[in-house]
Amino acid sequence: MAALEVQNLTMRFGGITAVNGVSFAVSPGQIYSVIGPNGAGKTTVFNAITGIYQPTAGHVLFEGQRVSRPFTWKVVASAVAIGLVVAVFFGLAAVNVDLLWKAAVRDNAGGAKDAFPTAKVIDDAGRYIGERRDNAITAALVGFALGTAGSLVVWQRDRRAPDVVCRGGIARTFQNIRLFQAMTVLENVLVGMTRSYRANLLGVAVSGPGHRREEDAARRKAAELLKFVGLAGKHNELAKNLPYGDQRRLEIARALATEPRLLLLDEPAAGMNPSETVNLMELIRKIRDRGVTVVLIEHHMNLVMGISDRVAVLDYGVKIAEGPPQEVSRDPKVIEAYLGKEEVS
Amino acid sequence: MTLARLPWFQILVLATFAAYPLIPGTNAVRGSAQFVPLFSFAILALGLNVVVGNAGLLHLGIAAFFGIGAYVVGILTVPTFPFHSSFLVAMVLATVISAAVGVATAAPTLRLRGDYLALVTLGFGQIFIYAVRNLTNVTGGTQGLTPILPAMLPGIEDPDTRALGLGPTWRGYPSFYYISLFALAGTLVFLRNLENSRLGRAWVAIREDELAASCMGLNPARLKLAAIAIGAGLAGMAGCLYATGLKGTAGPQAFDFGRSMITLCCLILGGLGNRSGVLLGVLLLIGFDSVLTPEIDTWLQEQRVNPEGKQYLKVAGWRLFVFGLALILIMRYRPEGLLPGRRQRHELHTEEPTPGA
Repeated sequence: MAALEVQNLTMRFGGITAVNGVSFAVSPGQIYSVIGPNGAGKTTVFNAITGIYQPTAGHVLFEGQRVSRPFTWKVVASAVAIGLVVAVFFGLAAVNVDLLWKAAVRDNAGGAKDAFPTAKVIDDAGRYIGERRDNAITAALVGFALGTAGSLVVWQRDRRAPDVVCRGGIARTFQNIRLFQAMTVLENVLVGMTRSYRANLLGVAVSGPGHRREEDAARRKAAELLKFVGLAGKHNELAKNLPYGDQRRLEIARALATEPRLLLLDEPAAGMNPSETVNLMELIRKIRDRGVTVVLIEHHMNLVMGISDRVAVLDYGVKIAEGPPQEVSRDPKVIEAYLGKEEVS
Repeated sequence: MTLARLPWFQILVLATFAAYPLIPGTNAVRGSAQFVPLFSFAILALGLNVVVGNAGLLHLGIAAFFGIGAYVVGILTVPTFPFHSSFLVAMVLATVISAAVGVATAAPTLRLRGDYLALVTLGFGQIFIYAVRNLTNVTGGTQGLTPILPAMLPGIEDPDTRALGLGPTWRGYPSFYYISLFALAGTLVFLRNLENSRLGRAWVAIREDELAASCMGLNPARLKLAAIAIGAGLAGMAGCLYATGLKGTAGPQAFDFGRSMITLCCLILGGLGNRSGVLLGVLLLIGFDSVLTPEIDTWLQEQRVNPEGKQYLKVAGWRLFVFGLALILIMRYRPEGLLPGRRQRHELHTEEPTPGA
């Protein structure tokens, strides 16, 4: 089974078709490159895979399945609960909550020592609402329908949101580095690790032992990851003060912190000098050796040809070639896309 | 935690207020009528700080949650209604109900960003005022609910605290003064722990780059809801303390747009996102408003500067002018506030060269 399978992916923005019927499959443990001239739609494919865009047509399968929130009884139960709350709110508004309160609560106020007259309050409230039964039922039904439908629609829209995709096991970096600038290097990685925490709000509030243990474990793991990408000893620097190459490495460490099985790298070598690029190739291989499948978009042909197991070439949103790097680099269509067609003279 | 990292400013402020009633000859009326509300306003501002400073959501209706807290305590404890709850139960319920209302009103609007969310919260604040004014049977309309004189614990009569030299009940001075101060200290500790936890980091992340944060597996909607729940809950608790200290919910005008704005001004003046800064902002603005202004006016009265009591010769008549001026000066010369948090300082000073930008 393929680790990632893109089937007939089409993305349209208004009248522009950025990606048109692109299909490709990545086997587990591969390093797979997507190349193509500027504006070919490579990043759009990444955005569609990670849930930033919803595909106009086509599917993205991760390990044979579409990554999405499962539709369970909890979803239905919470939608019904929200519907009930809205129903109560609408119902109360329809029967005039002010007078209801007067009839049921205010008029039943006993002395300061009396216990709460539960039975009488329920009785009076029931009688008051009973007199306005049709209004109350109509409003409550409308409220219930609105609340339930509304929450289901919102749930459906967020079903394939980026955070769901990430928790499903796909992490990514960005073409224009998107680190959390005002956070330190270590904190950036810790944000990626949020998934591995368990402690609840109460434990956090009193900074209990369970929470501290988790925090320590997370920090140890973050330190390990930083060492892995070669940023040991820079834990407390602000992300924005790092040199460019280190920022790219930090982005990779942050993505790895989410424990992905598939890593998407969007132009990881952009702006790097040749020696940094060589180090990056080494790093990408090491990531693959950890068992993470890697898909990368790249312009550096040395890097692409050096480490890729397979290469797909996009041009104007269409896949024009796919295969092992040596084969693709000889493909006349690819050469044409990059260099233009040879004039026949 | 090392000594240098302790929040010295907060400790100093809390210690000063804790010592105040112990100093002989200090003014008991000032302690109960001016400092107790000051503590609840500080908790309110800290709650708003979670929403605006930590999560980065501009909220213009926080006073509504302050009001909800006050009215929940009112409804649960005044003799007009049959609940007769104790203070602790009422405080817990005020906090929980405020948080729940916060979540319920924010959940449908979370997809709105920036100014639009601010407009919705502004509208919510206004709706709250009109609802309170018109639900006369529930809220007492423009008069509010009085008297709020609950017992401390459910099912137990209050012991006579005169034997301890504290005054007739726990609601008096200095008992309630210390209860409020303790609540403020607890809030500060709670928020410090929160900020150093994964939740605090996640808030910074969604504030800085929501898209990148969500691609790291953070659910922005849930994080924003958590911030609003905590902020509204703290505001509700503050409202509960405020109303109990006042022995009645003030009328709806105490929870109007002006209250939200002044609270926001405290944040901006003191330093958004930094607890010490927020505390300083509250001390300066609310302190000026409710402690210093009446003091100066009394003094002016005694000096016979203003024998006819003309409004424009009173400092109180110029208070909004002073607020506005302070804000303009801060925005011009120190947009990060007087005591900024370390992150806000970095975020607001982006003119430093950023590599690769």
